Amino acid sequence: MQRQKQSHRIKQYILKNFLFSNDDSAIGDQDSLVRGGILDSTGIYELIMFIEEEFKFTIAPEEMTPDNFDTLEVIDAFIDRKLAG
Amino acid sequence: MPSIVARVADVVRRHPQRVAIVGDDRRIRYAEFWAEALHFARALRARGLRPGERVAILLPNRIEAAVACYGCWLAGGIAAPLNVQARARDFEAWLRHCDARHIVYEHSHGDAVEAILKIDAYNGHAPIERWPIGADRPLSPHDAASASADNIDIDIDANAIAADDAALILYTSGTTGAPKGVTLTHGNLLANACAVVRYLELSERDSVLSILAFYYAYGASVLHTHLLSGGCVVLAQNLLFPHLLMDTIARERITGFSGVPSTYALLLERVKLIDYDLSSLRYLTQAGGAMSAVLTRRLRNALPDARLFVMYGQTEATSRLTWLPPERLDEKIGSVGIPVDGVELRIECEDGREADIDETGDIHVRGANVMRGYWNNPDASASVLRDGWLRTGDMGHVDADGYLYIDGRRSDMIKTGAHRVHPNDIEDVIHEVPGVSEVAVVGIDDHVLGQVVKAFIVAPGLPPQSDNMIKAHCRERLASYKIPREIEFVSALPRTASGKVRRAALLEPQTIP
Repeated sequence: MQRQKQSHRIKQYILKNFLFSNDDSAIGDQDSLVRGGILDSTGIYELIMFIEEEFKFTIAPEEMTPDNFDTLEVIDAFIDRKLAG
Repeated sequence: MPSIVARVADVVRRHPQRVAIVGDDRRIRYAEFWAEALHFARALRARGLRPGERVAILLPNRIEAAVACYGCWLAGGIAAPLNVQARARDFEAWLRHCDARHIVYEHSHGDAVEAILKIDAYNGHAPIERWPIGADRPLSPHDAASASADNIDIDIDANAIAADDAALILYTSGTTGAPKGVTLTHGNLLANACAVVRYLELSERDSVLSILAFYYAYGASVLHTHLLSGGCVVLAQNLLFPHLLMDTIARERITGFSGVPSTYALLLERVKLIDYDLSSLRYLTQAGGAMSAVLTRRLRNALPDARLFVMYGQTEATSRLTWLPPERLDEKIGSVGIPVDGVELRIECEDGREADIDETGDIHVRGANVMRGYWNNPDASASVLRDGWLRTGDMGHVDADGYLYIDGRRSDMIKTGAHRVHPNDIEDVIHEVPGVSEVAVVGIDDHVLGQVVKAFIVAPGLPPQSDNMIKAHCRERLASYKIPREIEFVSALPRTASGKVRRAALLEPQTIP
């Protein structure tokens, strides 16, 4: 349940701030945010600031990689690891 | 040798084992690069490409984008690299405008596929030849069918390309009116590349980290100048993860890096450069708008051993027009330097006379790098080209030492990051929203990107807080960097007596009625 909520919050943030949409189907969990042009060089920092504020942890520069931020699915897994650890 | 193609062919003969391009987990040597380009050229000819026909290249920076460009040239075609961030309506307009007979694209690019399908559905002639590529779909597979193309007696000779042959069409605006496709010849490309190679002192020992898109003049220049020198081009997609770029510079022992002001602002703001071994960096180049003195100083302090070349140019002049020798940066702060080899400058006053020293006027340029015109758009060509001179649209002055300073721009073009945006492209899209009666788009200052897009909209019939609906409408139809960052609803737009919108007044809130 917790995981679902966390994933939902990220998705809603992206929908509202980058896609300007309420349509959940506008983005899939495995869609590339980078190649899809959803995140750009300033958008990625807005997303990181949101995650840091929302989940109360700090993201180190070396953690900012496509492996952690390219899709909703990997963002979710990254947050899980940070919260666990 | 009248073309870059012939010159690169010579590099291939001299240094076949040198690495030409690194990207997509591949390192491709000059011999392989050339073999792939030749193979693609033969395949293009086998599939009907005739000399002078257009090959649209709709790819992000990846090895295939360079292979497709050189393959197209070897086959006698004209390359039309299109901005991959644009949307289907732009692609459709550009493909129609240059009458592309072939298109190279990533098979997963939905907007590209949509545009091709629309054109094919309404075209009077044969469908566009498609070259979809993907992880398991190479540009021109060495299968039985294409092997037969290699066996066809197709004469591919880099020396057959003439300096006056058109080489490249670069679109500088979207779909408003007749698109402006800057048409550059092989002679234009070679003249400008040689000038850049000379002042940057590029050689086969250089390797550049390229983040600038090949479909822009600056990015194309980075690619061609380094191939011409026998150097190495290391590809990176973007600035999203800047510390990964610094890792690459350290790992690949990169000697050169090119960016626009926002590139350097982002790097200095978000990466501790001191944490990386960047000692291999020999030079940095900066173009794409004025960089503040503060940012310039920070950059030089952060990377004191790299020579910083401030440059100025235009797509219509292939790429580069002037360069500031790094040793004179402090003395000439704010200047974009002296003309590159082969370029003449003329500052013209409103009455047509040549401006005096330090007197501001319109910047005109002449040289072997100046375009032949806009593709199929004689009116637009005639409006900027006269007696061999190109009217740049920029205002500037030259000091007593011959150094150029940019004092402003006559056009309303917005510079956001590495992109150029014509307000009309966005205004047309916002006008499509029911309830919008007037709209004007301007660039507002942004400390990182230089400018971002702001739209002023008159829409008395729209409910409050309709800005997200308008942004969503734009997102469907425009590249993401064109979506207004800010929207302000106003009761009317400030206009001149003749009814033209006074964009400058929009930037002064107190003057908005």
